[in-house]
Amino acid sequence: MLSALIWLPVLGAALVGFWPGLSASRARFLALAVASSLLVWTVVLFSQFDISNPAIQFSELFPWIETLGLNYHLGVDGLSLPLLALAGILTWIAIYSSNESVERPRLYYALILSVNAGIVGGFLAQNLLLFILFYELELIPFYLLIAIWGGTPQRGYAAMKFLIYTAVSGILILAAFLGLAWLSGSSTFDYKAIITAGLPLTTQLILLTMLLVGFGIKIPLVPLHTWLPDAYVEASPPVAILLGGILAKLGTYGLVRFGLGLFPETWALVAPGLAIIGAISAVYGALTAIAQKDIKRMVAYSSIGHMGYVLLGAAAATEISLIGAVAQMVAHGLILAILFHLVGVIETKVGTRELDVLNGLMSPVRGLPLTSALLVLGGMASAGIPGMAGFVAEILVLQGSYSVFPLPTLVCVVCTGLTAVYFVILLNRTCFGKLDNNTAYYPKVKLPEEIPALVLAVVIFFLGLQPTWLVRWSESTVAAMVATVQIDNEQQVAAVEAPAIER
Amino acid sequence: MVQAPINPATKIPPSRHEFAEVIHRLEAGGAMLPDTPENLMQIIGLYKAYAVPMDFYWRDLLYIAERVFLNPLPFFKYFLPKEYLDLHNHYAGDDADLRIWRGEATAHPELLAFMEKGETFKMPKLLHHLWHDRINMEFAEDLLRAMLWHRGMGGNFDPYLDTPEYKAAADKAIKAYFQGNPVMLGLYKLFPEMFIEQVRQLSYYSNLGLFWEVMAPVFFEMSDLYDEGKITTVPEAMNFLVNGIFAIAGRPIYHHVYIRGEMYEIIPKSKGFMWLYEAALPYVEAVFYRTSPFRGTKSYNAQAKQVPDDQKDFHYGILYADVFPVGTAGIPPTLLMQDMLHFLPPYLVDYYHKHCRGEDDMLIQLGISFQRSMYVVTSAVIQALRTALLYPLDDSNPKHLQANRAFFEAQMDRFKRPEARLRNIQSQNYR
Repeated sequence: MLSALIWLPVLGAALVGFWPGLSASRARFLALAVASSLLVWTVVLFSQFDISNPAIQFSELFPWIETLGLNYHLGVDGLSLPLLALAGILTWIAIYSSNESVERPRLYYALILSVNAGIVGGFLAQNLLLFILFYELELIPFYLLIAIWGGTPQRGYAAMKFLIYTAVSGILILAAFLGLAWLSGSSTFDYKAIITAGLPLTTQLILLTMLLVGFGIKIPLVPLHTWLPDAYVEASPPVAILLGGILAKLGTYGLVRFGLGLFPETWALVAPGLAIIGAISAVYGALTAIAQKDIKRMVAYSSIGHMGYVLLGAAAATEISLIGAVAQMVAHGLILAILFHLVGVIETKVGTRELDVLNGLMSPVRGLPLTSALLVLGGMASAGIPGMAGFVAEILVLQGSYSVFPLPTLVCVVCTGLTAVYFVILLNRTCFGKLDNNTAYYPKVKLPEEIPALVLAVVIFFLGLQPTWLVRWSESTVAAMVATVQIDNEQQVAAVEAPAIER
Repeated sequence: MVQAPINPATKIPPSRHEFAEVIHRLEAGGAMLPDTPENLMQIIGLYKAYAVPMDFYWRDLLYIAERVFLNPLPFFKYFLPKEYLDLHNHYAGDDADLRIWRGEATAHPELLAFMEKGETFKMPKLLHHLWHDRINMEFAEDLLRAMLWHRGMGGNFDPYLDTPEYKAAADKAIKAYFQGNPVMLGLYKLFPEMFIEQVRQLSYYSNLGLFWEVMAPVFFEMSDLYDEGKITTVPEAMNFLVNGIFAIAGRPIYHHVYIRGEMYEIIPKSKGFMWLYEAALPYVEAVFYRTSPFRGTKSYNAQAKQVPDDQKDFHYGILYADVFPVGTAGIPPTLLMQDMLHFLPPYLVDYYHKHCRGEDDMLIQLGISFQRSMYVVTSAVIQALRTALLYPLDDSNPKHLQANRAFFEAQMDRFKRPEARLRNIQSQNYR
């Protein structure tokens, strides 16, 4: 059942790429059909998923290279299921919102489907080596997507920077996984078989730090983020949606799954530092976004800020904060996607992303009124206005983290206010004011161009008004995960206190 | 009255004014708007589209001034009775004082057809009214209020509104109108100035109604002449306006009220207030140049001196207006554009379809055509003033030509402001 989610896009990519004589429109149609099938299949998966079961479900295990400990082991639990849905929706959106006259369409759509296969494979992999394979698999397609279809001549630089950073990330994670398996004496890289409990604390700390840096690059966290603004800004909007919407989630997912999941004992030691980094990321993202003059760059920096909340929630590792972190991954993916899509629409129609040039797009006849309205909505969702998905996620993260890390949490609360600041700046300059009589002859935005944003807006509202649909999937998995952390915490506390009693 | 121009550049040196090109065009008998077939088509098409709702405006303004008068709850003031739809225009039809338009003197057939069905379908008048599927009188009222508000723009009509004679006539009409109504008469006793001010406003209803009674047939005739191929250039269109202005300059401006079958002369015709000086010129000054900061187009911060202290420095009229925000709630021009949209001639609809967003932004495209057409009307007024006050364009005396030049330059100085659209309309790409 799960293999279909990986192999269907691979098959689709092969067909789109190699089917003789496939026209551009048919390539697009085929890619959309594959993406739609993936979405339907994901819905089926959701309908079959047992939310009360915290364990891995729909497990598929085929021995592959047993001497290496590499098995084709897939499975899904409450942590990865919402992200599968996110990947499904955003891949569909990315394909749908791609320019119909995109150059080299067959390669383009094939690469997008490959990216989907790689990311979904990463979410499903229950074997560490298999995860790394998928993790690395999407690097080259992304590199090509940025380098070939990017915006300005800087795209080559941005793509190379992205490649180097994320390749280093992959190497660090691979090294950590190898060390983990070899040092723990495991004969396999299967997730369930790896037990770190016997490893010395220092070893665990070193391995966990490698993982954190590796995934921290992917998320990215400050100060490992410098590839992000270039890559997000240079990438075309659909690719930016995939980059920010789902690729970054592979980082946060990895952090929780492998960082927290494999090192429950050590997590408590690094958690305060992570919470501080989360808070710093939130502050840095927000303040840098405020200073931007390019709306796409502003949205890109906002992404760094919002990833900070995920890190804070993961660091606190309470049930509520972790549910919030998962919810934030989904909400952030959706909100970032709507914002990048709308920024793309504005850039296409107006021909600029410069805040100082944009003005008056809310104008009902000559402006881009629906696009502006949806941008306002996206900004509100990003700023965590109640009634939308972003609020649910942020309030859970903040509520769940406050008891553990009050100060970083309060800093993040302030940052939600700062988010509102830069979105007010963005919306005020972009949507309001007056159109320039000399330049404001923009083409109309056609309804099909608005559909991705409308779909995302509906989902953002739905999850904001019915938050249970956002959080119910991960509750039991997170509860089980938190229980292991707490038990380990208690054991550590007992171990620390024991000598005192002897004395 | 407008002479065949000669090129004055041969007699006096070229102007160094920012709008020298426009000034030279005016000196050559042209308009502020460049003479192109595209411009001509736009302005004439717009005159036609403007004249049809204007045919409703002037009738309803007179109806309100004469019949609704001080009704404290004038819910049905826009429901024009048949009597006023059939009212004969003095400048059209067989019984005209001066037949400007060769059409009928009663309400225009396109107007009647629109009033029947609107842009939706046939339904009770009240529903058309509430749905705004009608002629929007709110626009017309806003203009006369601008005229009332910018008082003291010259002429004798406005000072007359403060004379004891006027107040006595208004008092008589007020007492007659509220006869047997102790509440309103009591209020009048308490706040007499409030009632007098209302009557002043109603006098401006009459003023604007009488002004537009002339303009509607002028525009209809221009449209017909264009359709017949008899107006072929922008200067010809402007000269038709100039000649029209002089032909009916002496038309009396008055305010009569009919109460229980009896006529009360609040401003009698015998006062001799003339159409040109008491209606046309104050209208152009108040509406084309000044008006007031339109609600909704932009937030003006008066405390930050974004609004001038002196009313004569106001420049928010159609010659300065930013038309792009049309469609935003609360801006009076949107209502006018909406009114004109219903009566665009087919050639203009086809033209708009070919540009910008086609049908989707027709309101703005026609708004800019309207702006162009009002620059031609203003040009006509400037040329008429020059004719009345100064010298012919083909005068042989260079000193006279220099005086004309100074007059034109002074007029153009008003368009040096950054928000003036004179620069924009020189280009066909401003649409």
